[in-house]
Amino acid sequence: MKSFVFGLAALALLSMPAGATLQVDVNQGNIQPLPIAIPDFAGDPAGANIAKVVRADLERSGLFRPLDPKSFIEQIKDVNTQPTFANWRVINAQGLVTGQATVQSDGRLGVDFRLWDVFGESQMIGKRYFTEPGNWRRIAHIISDDIYERITGEKGYFDTRIVFIAETGPAKNRRKKLAVMDEDGYNPSYLTHGEYLVLTPRFNPTAQMIAYMSYISGKPRVYLFDLESGRQEMLGNFPNMTFSPRFSPDGNKVVMSLENGGNSDIYVMDLRTRSSTRLTTDPAIDTSPSFSPDGRQITFESDRGGSQQVYVMNADGSNQHRISFGSGKNGTPVWSPRGDLIAFTKQGGGFHICVMHPDGSGERVITNGWEDEGPTWAPNGRVLMFSRTLQGGRGSQIWSVDVTGRNERKVLSDASDPAWSPLIQ
Amino acid sequence: MRKSSAAGLERGSEPVGLILAVALHVGIIAATFFTWMHRLDIADQSPPIVPVDLVTIGNKTSIAPMVKEKPKAPPKDETVTPPIPDQAPPAPSQLKEEAAPQVQAQVPIEKPSPAPPKAKPKAEEKKDKFDINNIAALLDKRAPAASSSPDAKVGPRDIRGFGAQNAMTMDLVDALRNEIAQCWSPPVGAPHPEQLVVSFELFLNPDGTVAQPPQLTRSSGADPFMRAAQEAARRAIYTCAPYRLPADRYNQWRDIAVTFDPRQMMGND
Repeated sequence: MKSFVFGLAALALLSMPAGATLQVDVNQGNIQPLPIAIPDFAGDPAGANIAKVVRADLERSGLFRPLDPKSFIEQIKDVNTQPTFANWRVINAQGLVTGQATVQSDGRLGVDFRLWDVFGESQMIGKRYFTEPGNWRRIAHIISDDIYERITGEKGYFDTRIVFIAETGPAKNRRKKLAVMDEDGYNPSYLTHGEYLVLTPRFNPTAQMIAYMSYISGKPRVYLFDLESGRQEMLGNFPNMTFSPRFSPDGNKVVMSLENGGNSDIYVMDLRTRSSTRLTTDPAIDTSPSFSPDGRQITFESDRGGSQQVYVMNADGSNQHRISFGSGKNGTPVWSPRGDLIAFTKQGGGFHICVMHPDGSGERVITNGWEDEGPTWAPNGRVLMFSRTLQGGRGSQIWSVDVTGRNERKVLSDASDPAWSPLIQ
Repeated sequence: MRKSSAAGLERGSEPVGLILAVALHVGIIAATFFTWMHRLDIADQSPPIVPVDLVTIGNKTSIAPMVKEKPKAPPKDETVTPPIPDQAPPAPSQLKEEAAPQVQAQVPIEKPSPAPPKAKPKAEEKKDKFDINNIAALLDKRAPAASSSPDAKVGPRDIRGFGAQNAMTMDLVDALRNEIAQCWSPPVGAPHPEQLVVSFELFLNPDGTVAQPPQLTRSSGADPFMRAAQEAARRAIYTCAPYRLPADRYNQWRDIAVTFDPRQMMGND
C-alpha cells in the first residue's frame, strides 16, 4: 500500500507539466551528403582545375554533395571579400568554398581558400598553400582534406596513394605488376614490369617503402621496395616461403608469415637489426598478421580451431585468442588505424567484407559482392578499399566503401589487392 | 507474532492510505493549476536571451533571419533583438584587412617522389575510365531529386497535415520530430556516435523561421567529432526552417528544446 502511495506521488511528480519549452527528441535522421558550393577558384587558370578536383574528392567521399556550378548566382572574384550568404542559401548550399590561385614572383603557385558556414555566415577555415605549379593536384587534395576534417571532425584521406596489383593480359596468362596511384586514380605508375608474380603489397607509415611478396627468385619471398630510389631487396634470408608482410605502426618492424613443411607461423622482423622473432608456434596455418595502431597487439588468421578464423594476440605473441565466432570462415583481418574496428573477409555464401570490434563484438557485413576480399583502411579509419572479383571470375576490380556500408564505388578495373598509404607528410 | 503485527499494520494503514491518496489527488490538481498559470506567465514573457557565445563554429557567428524585419514577434508585436555576438561580422572591407592573419598555414609543398616516365600515357587512359567530371555530372543530375529544397520559402502556413489536435502538444512534437529528422544527417561514421548527443534551444518566429541563433544547451566534450555533431545539428535546425506549424498555437512552439540523439541510428550504420 505504501509503495502504491509512493508510486502515485512519483507519478504526480512526473506528470507535472514541463516549462514553456517544447521538448523534441530527434533520434532518427536522414543520412545525406552535405550540399556544398565550390566555385572555380579565381585568379590563375589552375584555380578552376583545383576546384574541380576538390569537388570530385568531396563528392567521392559520399559525405558531400558539390552543387552544380551552373546553379551559382554569385561569382566569386576575390577570396578576400565576404560572400553574400543569401545568394548561397537560395541554392541550398550549406557550405561554401572560395579560393584564389596566383603565380608568385618566384614562379610558385600560391593557393588561398576559405570555407564558409552559409547558415552561420562565418568563416570555418582559411589557409594558403604554395607549391610548384605542376603539383596543383596535391594542393587540391590537401584542401579537400582540410574541408573534410573541418566538417566531419576526422582527418581526410585524399592526399594519399594506393599501392595495388595491376592485372593485364588474358585470364590464363595474367601479368601482375606492382603499381601505385593517387587515391583518386590519377598518376598511376608501375613499379615492376610483370615478369614475376607479385602479391600483397603494403605501405610503410611514411608511404616511402612497400613490402610485398614476389616470386623474383623463383620462390615466394617478402621484398621491400623503396619508392624514392626504386631499389628492392629481399627481406631476410629464410630457407622457405615468406609471405603476407605488413609494417608495424612505427615502421621499424615487419610482421609476416613463414612457411615450414606445410605449417606457417607468424614472425616479426626488426628492420634495424634484421633479427626475427617467432610469435606463433601452433601446427596450424597462422597468417595475415596486422598490428593494432598502438603497436601492442596483432590480429591474424588461423585455422587452429578447425576452420579459418580471426585471432588477436599481444605483440610478443602472448595471449592468443579467437575473436570471430560468426558464421563461415573469417580471414585477412586488418586493424583500423582508428583502432575501433577490425576489417576482415568472411567466406560463406560468397566472400564479403565485414568489420567487428577488436573484442569480436558488433560484427557487420558491409559489402555483398560475388567475391569481395582483402580489405585495406583509409588512414582515417572511415573508408575501406577491397578487391572485387566479378561473377564467374571475369576480372578483378578495386572498390571502395564507407565503414557504414554506404557509398560503394568502383575505383579501378583490372586491378586487385589494394593497400592504402597513410596521409602523405 | 511478527505475522499478526504485520497484518494489523496493514489493516490500520488502509484508511491512512485512502486519506493520503485523496490528499495527493487534490494536491496534484492544485499543482497542475499552479504550474499551468505559471507556465502561461512564462509564455507571455520574452524568453530570456543569454548572449553566450557557445557555438564553436567561429567567432563571427551571427545569423540574420533572411527577410524578416521583426525577427521575433510574440503576439503583442514585441520585437526582440537577437543576442549580440561577441564580435559583429566584419564588413567586406574589414575582412580584407583581417584576411592576412586568418590565413594560417603556409605550407611549402615539396614535389612528391618522381614517377617513372612510363606512367604518362597510362594516366590519359585512366582518365577515360575514371572520369571525375562524369561522376560529378551524374550526381548533379541526381541531386535535384534528392533534395527537398528545404530553403524554399513557403506561402501561408499549411496545417492540414496535423490531424485531430486532441493531445496538447504531442502532435507538435511528432510533427517537429519528423520534420527535423528529414533534415538531420547524423554523425554515424564517427568512432563513438553514441556519445555525440547534443541539445539546442530554438526560438521560432510566428512564421516558422528561426528567430535567433539556436543555443547549445547540452553536449559533452569539445573534440572535433563533438564539434562536427553540434554543427550538423545546427545545420538541421536551419535547413528545416521555416517550420510548418499551426499559427494559432504559436505559444506552444515558440520555444523548443531539440535533442539530437544518434544512438538509435547505430543499428543502421
